[in-house]
Formats: sequence, structure tokens, C-alpha cells
Amino acid sequence: MTQIFSRHADSRLRLAAGLGLAAVAFLAVSGFFVARSGAAWQVGVPARQPIPFSHAVHAGQLGLDCRLCHAGVERQAAAGMPTAETCLGCHRQVWNVAAQFAPLRSALALDTPVAWASVSRLPDHVRFHHGAHMAASVPCETCHGQVRTMPQTVRAETLSMQWCLDCHRDPDPRRRPAGAVLARGGVPGDTPPEPLTGLGARRFAHFGVEISALTRCSTCHR
Amino acid sequence: MTAGRPATDPTRRDALGLMAASTALALAGCDGPDEFGQPLWSRGRGAPDAASYATVLELDGLGRGVLVHTRAGHAVKVEGNPDHPASLGATDVFAEAAVLSLHDPERSRRVRAGGRPRPEAELEAALAAARETLRATGGQGLRLLTGPVSSPTLRRLIGQVLAAFPGAAWHRHAPLAEDAALDGALAAFGRPVAVVPDLARARAVLCLGADPLGAGPAQIRLARDWSEGRAAGRAAGALPWLCVAGATPGLTAARADRRLALPPAEVTRLARAVATALSVPGLAATAAHPEAGAIAARLRAAGPDALVLAGPGAGPEAHALAHATNAALGSAARRLVPSPLGGEGLDSERLGSERLGGEGKAGESLRDLVSSMAAGTVSHLLVLDADPVGEAPAALGFAAALDRVPFSLHLGPRLDATALAATWHAPLRHPLESWGDSLAFDGTPALCQPATVPLVASARDAAQVLLALLGHSEPEGGPKAGTARAAVRATWAGRWNLPADSAEFAARWEAALERGVAGEAPPALEPTPRPGWDTLRDPPPTDGLVAAFVPDPAVRAGEWAHNAWLRELPQPLTGLAWGNAALLAPATAAALGLRAGDEVMLALEDRRVPAPVLPLPGHAEGVVTLPLGGGRRVGEVAAAGRGFDAGLLRPADGAALAAGLTLHPTGRRAAPPLAPTARGQEEAPRLLAPGGSLAPPPRDASLLPDWPYPGPAWAMAIDLDACIGCNACVLACQAENNVPVVGPAAVAAGRAMHWLRIDRDVLGPAGGPEAAGRDPPATQFRPVPCMHCEQAPCEPACPVNATVHDSEGLNVMVHARCIGTRTCANACPYGVRRFNWEDHRRAVAGALRNPEVSLRPRGVMEKCTYCSHRIAAARAGAAAGDGPAGPARTACQSACPTRAIVFGDLADPDGPVARARRDGRHFLPLGQLGTRPRTSYLARMEGTAPAPPADGAPG
Repeated sequence: MTQIFSRHADSRLRLAAGLGLAAVAFLAVSGFFVARSGAAWQVGVPARQPIPFSHAVHAGQLGLDCRLCHAGVERQAAAGMPTAETCLGCHRQVWNVAAQFAPLRSALALDTPVAWASVSRLPDHVRFHHGAHMAASVPCETCHGQVRTMPQTVRAETLSMQWCLDCHRDPDPRRRPAGAVLARGGVPGDTPPEPLTGLGARRFAHFGVEISALTRCSTCHR
Repeated sequence: MTAGRPATDPTRRDALGLMAASTALALAGCDGPDEFGQPLWSRGRGAPDAASYATVLELDGLGRGVLVHTRAGHAVKVEGNPDHPASLGATDVFAEAAVLSLHDPERSRRVRAGGRPRPEAELEAALAAARETLRATGGQGLRLLTGPVSSPTLRRLIGQVLAAFPGAAWHRHAPLAEDAALDGALAAFGRPVAVVPDLARARAVLCLGADPLGAGPAQIRLARDWSEGRAAGRAAGALPWLCVAGATPGLTAARADRRLALPPAEVTRLARAVATALSVPGLAATAAHPEAGAIAARLRAAGPDALVLAGPGAGPEAHALAHATNAALGSAARRLVPSPLGGEGLDSERLGSERLGGEGKAGESLRDLVSSMAAGTVSHLLVLDADPVGEAPAALGFAAALDRVPFSLHLGPRLDATALAATWHAPLRHPLESWGDSLAFDGTPALCQPATVPLVASARDAAQVLLALLGHSEPEGGPKAGTARAAVRATWAGRWNLPADSAEFAARWEAALERGVAGEAPPALEPTPRPGWDTLRDPPPTDGLVAAFVPDPAVRAGEWAHNAWLRELPQPLTGLAWGNAALLAPATAAALGLRAGDEVMLALEDRRVPAPVLPLPGHAEGVVTLPLGGGRRVGEVAAAGRGFDAGLLRPADGAALAAGLTLHPTGRRAAPPLAPTARGQEEAPRLLAPGGSLAPPPRDASLLPDWPYPGPAWAMAIDLDACIGCNACVLACQAENNVPVVGPAAVAAGRAMHWLRIDRDVLGPAGGPEAAGRDPPATQFRPVPCMHCEQAPCEPACPVNATVHDSEGLNVMVHARCIGTRTCANACPYGVRRFNWEDHRRAVAGALRNPEVSLRPRGVMEKCTYCSHRIAAARAGAAAGDGPAGPARTACQSACPTRAIVFGDLADPDGPVARARRDGRHFLPLGQLGTRPRTSYLARMEGTAPAPPADGAPG
């Protein structure tokens, strides 16, 4: 009776199984890191906008205030986007380039909104309030990065839930004194932040686990 | 709809399409394929991010003031206007459903001739040509046909048209008009009056075929007054007494102390017997009824706080008797005001009353018009916001007569039967896009202003068409810009006696727009019954069945048939959704061997229509109730082919009651979908006699540790003694929380998605001392949202921790974590969890969507959140310093006309919920299970003060 399996069959099987396991482990580990990388969250990817707009020119060189265009940022949930009137208010006088502003002129004529594209879009099930974060002294740059240096606006952070929680679990290092929230170029933490009102008092024990109100599901999810 | 499928059975996909209220505007700005809706636009010009506008929405021609909440320029939610007397801050189902009609993707969008789209300019040219022809002939052959019109501007313009064209006449199509009430008022006082009941004051009320708490233009106000009167009665230990005599049980009957199921002829006999017992002056004949003595004693004891109300279920004689009885009692619980639908703005002496058919009886007015049309004397017909081909009695032959009219223009919001039959059709603007004005049921005027940009570019207002007919030059800015607004401003400049360009007018105009009320209600009339008033005689009782044509709770006379929210709403008392049925008494059904859902052939004279039957407890024997507005033959998916069309049976004069109905079982089954409501565990209803109280709920022992609640503890208390089952809370919840429509098949399978349902408990003979043995059972309505249990059974049941408890006591649902095992729904004893069997997100997304509430994908659970986004908005607003004023209010709480729902912080001992929980009527639903629900109830009270001794002529 002849041998069906060669004398190396067993070691080949072990080698194949080992390589297979290693491949699975590699895929799992690389998947873990890819999913957390900036590329998977479209960090640094610009969006197609109706008109070519440069924050580097407006916010960086000209030094316009964020609130000129994003007027709702201190009070409302959505920071708001500029209307055609806002843009053309200045651009009727300066840099009046007809072809580029055609979408704005048609929006003004037809009384329709300008369809800006967002780079910092949160999923539908997340409730985010700009005004609440401003009131808690979180500077714009913590989430939006150095917008004043961006010729094309891109996402600076992943905006993943992990990233949100990193801050919600320990917000103080990222906060600034109330007057410096809209200031540009400040390094978070270079001035000692005021303690968040009542945060320490609102920690409580639940099944022995410390949970603050900031990490409660319903604080951010709807 | 796919060809070959019966028209009565559109698929779920068709039904979902109804909700796809996505306009071109909404689609324009979507910038990511990953999430539906939520476009990130700049604001429109002058539109703030989130704003509310005060305006007015009409039902049967009468206005109810509302506040329209907009997001980024889109109208997403309607709430009541606290300053408007017909709303007082609450809404009804029709006001809530208006935003869906506004965003209806099947709205008419094109000018049409003979059903085919034509350019707008052709219509303008045709109107100009018609104007020239009519100028030459003095308007011979010009007829206007409108719905009920209370708008001062429209009435002014109609008057101008009649003055400019001496041969023209105005007619009215109002299938729900109460011609019997007009006859009764003319007989009693010699002039038309409208009755404005004051149910807050009334201590003893007799309803003769009237349903003041049922759907209608005055429902919100009357329900609020009734609940206030009842609250005062509870505090004083003597509840007001309410008796309802009529054929069809309504919402008022469900709350009545005495329910007398009587056919119309018996209602009239009872009215006359009560009047006899009270010795009403001027009675030409007497009558007796076994119940009359006791009722008369109640009314006499209440004196000026007594009230007799006659309604559409009673004939003209009963209306006249009610007026005379009220006058004899000296009733101060009602005011008589000039009818808001007649009289004002049109000079009948100058124009000639025969040309003002729109002022008189609707049935006669339409019949006169059809006979002139059939005779060929009508050359130009303008139908403004009415669907006479679809809604008028088929016996009248409106469609055939319309074929003889050479020029007919239909202005309407939808491509209904009239739009297709008329030579021209133009789309009408929705009230939320229009300028206008309106009078409330008590005559209070209000201005209508647009809350959103016009969603249909070619749509126009009725005022614009009338102005075009008058040949007024269009103002600058295009043919439609500002025309209606200028007309409304001109009307009010005249009414206020101020020049339209004065600063005083500007200030008053702005104030009226902001407040949503443009003036005061007219002063009450003090007419006395004229001598010899008792001349009317209702038809005597007949042997056969009487057909009662009533408005459908969901679609009225058919004008709401397109609205999928209303169609899917389980109707109060019957539980029907997506259809209708002929209602009859259980005894009548048993005599004919009929069960619910059996099909019968209804025949009245030579007219026949098949219909399913539904035996309804409390219905009078010898009467069959036929809801109008079903079985549209053309129209949208929601409307076409749903139920049977009672208009095919209705007599040509549009009478609400008709004797001689016959009914033959066909042997077939035609079960309309009945929405299953009893989803949770059964619990016996609790009722309290006056002054009684329930034992406080025991604090149960639990093996689970208690949760700490360091902050607010949200809770809700629902007063079952105030609930009238009007469904406003259900639709408010649907509009606020993007709850999808699932369609008739899914509803029949028990898969309706309403987060808040209303359970009906039939109260047995133990319901009250007087109820034993005689009256049909009362119904208790119990709104059931999520209970947000402190020891929630659903939370440990979830294998993936997708339903969790938060520190404020909310039982929150993490949709992104849910894997759809449905174990939580199995664990919930209250049956409040809903499962997404299909992906409804695309259907719900669009301009209609409330962006504050996330859309749920297929395969996840959802349920009431206590409007957690409103709680968050109140918290964020408090943090930012200018949020919504006051504490968070849930959508259902805001909508409730009787303020039965209170919501707030349980930890606040002076808060509304803590106060409600200290009431002796408080109980926890299924409290014995130890779930510690945060939603709790206050038990209903039954019974009144002991009856005074009967007087008068006992039967």
C-alpha cells in the first residue's frame, strides 16, 4: 500500500495554517489601524465647492473673523454658512470676478440657498451644538485645525466617536480662557484653563464605574 | 400604480412613495451620499436658521391660528398659537398634517388644459380673453364656485367681481355645511347666527346630534374649555353633566355621563319633549320621551349654566328647538355671533341675494348652479379651491353638467376629479405658502402669511385669479409677486380705516402678523326667538334604515384623502386606518347576520354602492352611518380607491340624513385594515367616583440597585380625565420625530410605527351609577408613549446594550448599536417599541424632515424618546443664554387641546409632574410589575352630583 501523503505533508499543513493565521492577524491589525487612520476618515481631503474659496486668503491674509461668515457659532447648533449676500457684500466692491461668482449671483436672483459642501460633517445620529462648545471654552482650532493656512478647506481631525470621547473624558487640557476661544494660533493649554463648571460635582458612581455627564450616550446621540 | 393590480390594494412601495416629500429644493443641496437629508446650505435670503411664523390654517373655511416652525427656511412643524382663540396653543390632527400636504410630491405643479400641461402664458391669455368676452356681455354666464369662505379679502374680491359683472353669481360647494342649522336659526331668530358654546361655564349640556369635542374647526377651543370646566368641577367636587343623544357615537359621547343612542327622528322627539318639560314659550306642539324629565331637571337646575347644542346629526326642527330652549333657560353658556361664513363684506341688498348663493344653504346653492350649467346658461365657471366633481353627490350630475360649460377654470392644490374635468386647471398655493386672512369659528380675524418659499413655481392664490378676472394690472416684479399680499393689505386698510401707506397701518399690520390675530371677535348678538318660531317639522320616523352622511375622521369630506399621515392614523372609536366602513349598531348587524368586515350592497332609491360594515357599540339602531370622502376615483395613491364613496348614495340636495336606505349582504368579505391597538399587557381601567382616590402605589422591592439621579428626572403624567382621544398627540409625535408611514398592509400586520398610540378601553356597566343597564358603554382613551421605566425590562434584555439608561432617567435607544433581535420589544410589558421592518429613510428625508431627529435604518428598534432633542435644545439654549423660553415641552404635550399631558422634572417638588403624582387619582401603569414607570396616569372620574328630581312630563 502506497503512502497517500508525502512525509512533508504534515509540516506543509502546519506551515499553511500558521501563515493563514498570521495573515488573518495581520489583516485584523492593519484593519484596526487603517480604520483609525486619517485617510479612512477623509482627513485632508478637500470637498468640491460651488465657488473656489480660500480660507488662507480670507482668514489668514485678510484676517477676517470666523463669525463674519459662520454667524451662528456662538449661539446656535449649526455655525451657519455664508449667504450670497454676505459674499457679494464685499465682492461687489473688490475682486469682482464675474465667472467665479456666477453661482452666488444666481442664488441671489433666484432666492435660493448656496449649496456649500461640508468637510466637517457629523453623522445623522450625532447632536452637536457649536454654541455649547463655545460656551465651554473649546477653541475652533481643536476640531477644525489651522483653517487660516488652508487654501482648500480640509478636515483636520477624524471626528470619530473615539476622538470626541478623548476630549469629553478629559476636556480641561484642550480648553482656553473664555476670551481666547476665537483667537488664532494659540497653543491649547498655554494659559491655565478655568475648571469646567460643576463637572467634578457631576461625576457619580454607577456600578463602580466613574461616568461624567459628558460621556453619557444621550448627551451627544439622538 | 402598476396596471393589473386592483385599485384598492396599492403596495407598501406605493405608500412609501407618499412620504417621499422631497422637492427639487431639497435635492439641490445634498452633499454626501452617506446620510440622507441634512443638506448644509447657507440660509435663504432673510430666512433665519430656525424661526416660527404665526399664520392661520383653515378647516371647513374657518381658521385656527398656528405657529409654523421652520428649519433653514422649510416648514417642518405646526404648533398652536397661544394668542388665537380657536387654538390657545394646541393643534388638531389636520393642523399637524398640513406640513405633509405642503410637501406632498403629488401636488399639482403645472397649468393644464384638458388634463394636459400647458404653458402659463396660455392660461393668462385665456383669462384675458374671457375677461373681454364677459365685459362685453356684462358677465352673463359667469359663475364663481368656492368652498366655504370666511376670508375677508376673498369676500371683498368676490363682491368686486359681482359688482363688475352684473350677470355673474357666486355659488358654494360645502359638503359638510350644516344647512339644518341655518334653517333652524332662520326659524328661531329670523336671521343666520352661529353658536359659540362656552363649555368652561356650562354645568349641564345636552347634545342633540352634536359632537362638540369631535373634529371640526372649533374642536381645539371647545375641548380646552370642556377640560377647564371639568377641572373646576373636580376641584369643587361636582363634575359638569354631559348628555349626548344621537345616532353616531363620537368623541363627545365617549366622555358623556348619559349616552342615548337615538335615530334622528327620536332626537327631535327628545328635543321637543325636553322643551315641553321646560315649558318653553312658543311651542306649537308637545311631545313626550322617557328620558326628557330627568334631562329637563338637570338643565333647569343648572339655570344659566345649562346649554342645549344641536349638531349635524339633528334636523332643522331640533336646531330651532335647541335655540328656543336655550333662550328659555337664559343660557349664558353660549354666545350667538354673526356667522363667520356669511353676511360680512358682501352687500346683499346691492348685489341681490339671489346672486349670493355662497351665503345661503350649500345644498341649494350647488343645485342651482348645476341646473343652470345643465341648461347651458353658464359660459364661464371658476372653481376656486373645491372639488365638486369628486365630492358633490353623484346624483347631482355635476360632472355631466360641467361638460356643457365652454370655459371652466379649476384652481386647486391637487389633480383631483374636477382638475381633470375642467377645461383649465391651475395649481393653488398651499396656505403655508400664501398670503390671506381668515375668521375663526367665533369670528376672530387672523392674517395668513407664508412660512416658506413657494414650493410650486406656477401656483397662484385664489385672490390672484379674481384680480386677473377684474383686469387689475399686475404689480412690478412679475405676474405673481406681491399680488395677494397687496390685496390683503388693501382689505385690512379698509377694515382698520387707515391709509395703507401710513405708519399707523404699518405698525398695526406688523403687530397682527407677529401675534397671529388681527382683531377681536365680533360682539355677541342678543336675538330673541321670534313669535311663531315653531314651524319646522323634521321627517317622521320611517320603517327602513336612515342613512347619516358624516365627515370622515381622517379625510373630512375627501379634501384630506391625499394625506398619508391622516390615512394611517387609527380613527378614534373605530380603530380604522386606510379606509372606511358603514357603521351600524351591533343589534342591527346581528339581525342581518353581519360581522365586522362583511360586505353589503347599500341602496338608496336607485343608487347602489358596496361597502364593508363595522358594528360599533353605542350606535343607534335603525341608522347606518356613512362616512364621506372615501373611494376617490382619481387622485394620489393615498386617496384613490380607499374605502367606499358615500357620495354615490347621497341625495342630490346634499342632505346629511336620508331615509329609505336598504342593505343587502353580498356574502363577500371586504375587511378594511383595523389598526391593532392593544399591544401591551392588559390592565383593567381604573375609574374614580367624585372625591375618591386611589391607594398610593407601593414602593416595590427590587433586586436591582437603584439608579442615582443627580440632575433632573424627566417624567410625564397623563390625565385620563382630560383625554378626549382626538389623536393630535399621535400626529404631533409623527411630525416631530420623522415617524414613517408604512402603508395599509403593514398596518394590518401590526407594524404601524407611531411612537405614541392611543388605547381604547371600553368601560362596562360599572362605569357610573347611571350607566347600569341602560346606556351603551363609554370609552376611555389612554395615550401610551414609552414609559421610561426606572427598572426597565428592556434594558437587561438587549444583548448588545443598545437600549441604555441615562442619568436623567431617559431610557435611550442607540440606533447605531441595535442589531434588531427584538428581545427588548418582547420584554416590554407596555408594547411601545417599534421595529423598522423596512428602510424608510429615503421616504422620510427631504424638506419635511425635522433635522433634529435622526432617521432610523432598517432592522433597528425605535421608540418614544420624551423628545430628547427638545430637552437638549432647552439645555443648550439655557447654556448659550438665548434658547427656547421656559422648560422643555414634548411635541405631544404642546399639541394636546385639553392639556392632558404634563412633562417635567420629577425631582422638582413644585413641578407639574410632582404635583400630578400627589393627586389622589395618580396611578402607575402595570405598577405591580415593579418597573417604576416615569410615565404615569391620573384616573378618569365618572359620575356627577346626584340627579335632581325629575320634573315636567315624564314619558
